[in-house]
Amino acid sequence: MAPSKTSMFRSADMSMVQLYISNEIGREVVNALGELGLVQFRDLNGDTSAFQRTFTQEIRRLDNVERQLRYFYGQMEKANIPLRKMDLDVDSLAPPTTNEIDELADRSQGLETRVHDLNESYETLKRREVELTEWRWVLREAGGFFDRAHGNVEEIRASTEDDDAPLLQDVEQHHSAPDVERSFSGMNIGFVAGVISRDRVAAFERILWRTLRGNLYMNQSEIPDALVDPTTNEAVNKNVFVIFAHGKEILAKIRKISESMGAEIYNVDENSDLRRDQIHEVNARLNDVQNVLRNTQQTLEAELTQIGQSLSAWMVLITKEKAAYQTLNLFSFDRQRRTLIAEGWCPTNDLALIRTTLQDVTNRAGLSVPSIINEIRTNKTPPTYLKTNKFTEAFQTIINAYGTATYQEVNPALPAIVTFPFLFAVMFGDLGHAIIMLCASLAMIYWERPLKKVTFELFAMIYYGRYIALVMAIFSVYTGLMYNDAFSKSLTLFDSQWEWKVPDGWKEGQALTGQLKSSYRYPFGLDWRWHGTENDLLFTNSYKMKMSIILGWAHMTYSLCFSYLNARHFKKPIDIWGNFIPGMIFFQSIFGYLVVCIIYKWSVDWNAIGKNPPGLLNMLIYMFLQPGELDEELYPGQAPLQVFLLLLAVVQVPILLFLKPFYLRWEHNRARAKGYHGIGENSRVSALDDEDENGHAGANGRPSGESDGGEGVTMIAQDHDDDDEGHGEFEFSEVMIHQVIHTIEFCLNCVSHTASYLRLWALSLAHQQLSVVLWDMTLGGTINKTGVIGVIMIVIGFYLWFFLSCAVLIAMEGCSAMLHSLRLQWVEAQSKYAEFAGHMFTPLSYATMLEEDEGLTDFRG
Amino acid sequence: MAQGYSVFIGLVIVAAMCVAAWFLSPKGENQTTWRSSLIIAFISCYLMWFVTFMAQLHPLIEPRRSDVRAEFAHE
Repeated sequence: MAPSKTSMFRSADMSMVQLYISNEIGREVVNALGELGLVQFRDLNGDTSAFQRTFTQEIRRLDNVERQLRYFYGQMEKANIPLRKMDLDVDSLAPPTTNEIDELADRSQGLETRVHDLNESYETLKRREVELTEWRWVLREAGGFFDRAHGNVEEIRASTEDDDAPLLQDVEQHHSAPDVERSFSGMNIGFVAGVISRDRVAAFERILWRTLRGNLYMNQSEIPDALVDPTTNEAVNKNVFVIFAHGKEILAKIRKISESMGAEIYNVDENSDLRRDQIHEVNARLNDVQNVLRNTQQTLEAELTQIGQSLSAWMVLITKEKAAYQTLNLFSFDRQRRTLIAEGWCPTNDLALIRTTLQDVTNRAGLSVPSIINEIRTNKTPPTYLKTNKFTEAFQTIINAYGTATYQEVNPALPAIVTFPFLFAVMFGDLGHAIIMLCASLAMIYWERPLKKVTFELFAMIYYGRYIALVMAIFSVYTGLMYNDAFSKSLTLFDSQWEWKVPDGWKEGQALTGQLKSSYRYPFGLDWRWHGTENDLLFTNSYKMKMSIILGWAHMTYSLCFSYLNARHFKKPIDIWGNFIPGMIFFQSIFGYLVVCIIYKWSVDWNAIGKNPPGLLNMLIYMFLQPGELDEELYPGQAPLQVFLLLLAVVQVPILLFLKPFYLRWEHNRARAKGYHGIGENSRVSALDDEDENGHAGANGRPSGESDGGEGVTMIAQDHDDDDEGHGEFEFSEVMIHQVIHTIEFCLNCVSHTASYLRLWALSLAHQQLSVVLWDMTLGGTINKTGVIGVIMIVIGFYLWFFLSCAVLIAMEGCSAMLHSLRLQWVEAQSKYAEFAGHMFTPLSYATMLEEDEGLTDFRG
Repeated sequence: MAQGYSVFIGLVIVAAMCVAAWFLSPKGENQTTWRSSLIIAFISCYLMWFVTFMAQLHPLIEPRRSDVRAEFAHE
């Protein structure tokens, strides 16, 4: 574990670097570094607002292009045109050149105008079409009214004009048909015809009735097809109405009311010939409009389809370009504004890679001015960079969900790769369920690529943790074999160590007890003879409880050892002497002792020596309550040893409490006495290869004297994002309080955390009992039925059992076991050593950016 | 076949596996991950087996059941 090598054990070494880049290639450099994804840039213009920065203009322009692209997307969605999505794993777009971006901007500008125009004319045409359609309906419907009305016109006339006309005249009048055509105007009855939306009809009618005091005759009919309003794109049901009324003023009033109610009024001729002509004309125009409309739509669709082919790629390009300019905005200029200066964190191991990338970009651009990368020394806390791969990613994520490890402290994810799934398996242990889970996780890994595209959230989550599931399943297979449980049944892999002691005259139904066969012991896992016995739980509970304590003790001891490694790595010997050693002694003298006792008690054949085995729980309790006294002895010399251990543990408490704070105070006072003062509150930085101080060029090989007239010695922007405040003054009271809290917490946690591991027993008991119950309630109850009913019942029973097994025992129980194991990892283990005071390394990386950008969700394949 | 001393045999086997894991882990960036994971896995599994074995070495109670069928009582 060489410290310089990147491994999962600690977060990577980070360096603060300064980059001097010629102004012309700033964009290219940022693009190259963005593809590389290894540099986290610092903001050097913290005091300038977003609007005052250098490249705001470019970003605005790109924002506009992005808006246009989104507009196209909106149009495409409206027209139901499929979008060719970007598969980021397959196609990786090279960073665009400035020309390409300009071209793209122009093109999208042109396309926007075109699409906009097309849309506008389409809308106008559509409106025209709707109008014509409405008119046609009015003509048709109103014509119907007229035809019906004309049949009765004489009656109307007779009743209005000629009160005493003879009834017979009616017959004669019918023969003089031409007269009929002019009849309405002759009667001074006018009419208004139009269209109104159906839900307004009632109100419309009421208003008309009230304002005209009933002096109207209204006729209406429904248009069977809904008409689409082109502006809102909503289908509206409408009615045709024809209102007959007497007198010009009233008609004008009707018109006004109709307009205010949102009705469309159409001109309908009373004369049926004219009306026929009108209908013909309307039909012809409607045809024309429809033709033009179809053409327009086809053109628009063709245009959008073509855009759809490359829209995603454009979107990606624009997003990258915008990120590049946003990054450039973080940079600073030198005095002549010829060189860009950037600062950022990068992994020390990748410095060479970054340097060659810079070199490549400079060479490609054919610039004579080299780009310079300069490592600088700083007392700022570097970000935590934990490199992951496909397998470790999910494990790292569950640790990061709790917090970000301090820079270079032991990464809790490394042991968690095993301990987290293993503790899960201790709770989940069932061979059958484990194999189903194993198959599922293997399937997810085998079909990794196709399944990656599934966007269903719940599945995506399980898919993300597929490697965790795999390790969990493998360990569950093992623990299932250990517990000898497969779907609540047992396997008889080896000979049992028990045989039944059958007394003479034994009959079926009488109780039998087992006896040991010989010195042979069941070699692997739990003896199957225990399965289904009356005192099965008595035995397994004791076994599982003790196992929980032993596993918990091992887990916590192991975790506690990491605090030693941390102290050694950070060169804080006082943490070893003042925290680790007393803590370890305290923990071991109580719980280490308990574990030793458990194992010792197992190793003694109590029946052979004819003694009563003492209860360990009481032993531990009375070790505190009445030290020096014992009810039953576990081994000779137990009482004095326990008193000694108790004293040893008690003595650790003051050491834990006082050693570290007093040592720190002594160290501080000594430094003061020698005349040293605390480092200034501000972060102070000096270039690594400052020639004034060292007199020799650093290993970085910084070319001499290009553009660094005194620049680069100090960091630009000293006081932004200061994350390490409070480093300044030493305050004894603070340290003391901190240590008191730590001591109390540690001592209490030793007890409560050990108890907390009993959840391993509780959950595995619950899982096992639940699967027994499920078996008995479903398949177990049907399996001895015979005949046709038996067959049906077994089939039903099986499906019930199988699906409930999957849903309840694997999914739900698995989830609960996982949460408990997560807690053991987060709280019980990590509290022993991890500080979690780091901040995450977030490099400029196009790959992650494209993957995580919310705005790109629609464009990703 | 399996007596009380088996735990030590198991210990030797697991220790050998741990040594093998240390030396046979693939070189490169993930060597630490391989080593740590394999060794912790072996030790965890051994610990569980050890506990299970020890719990049955000198049992204090015997299995008891009353639904044994005559065919199986003498097995």
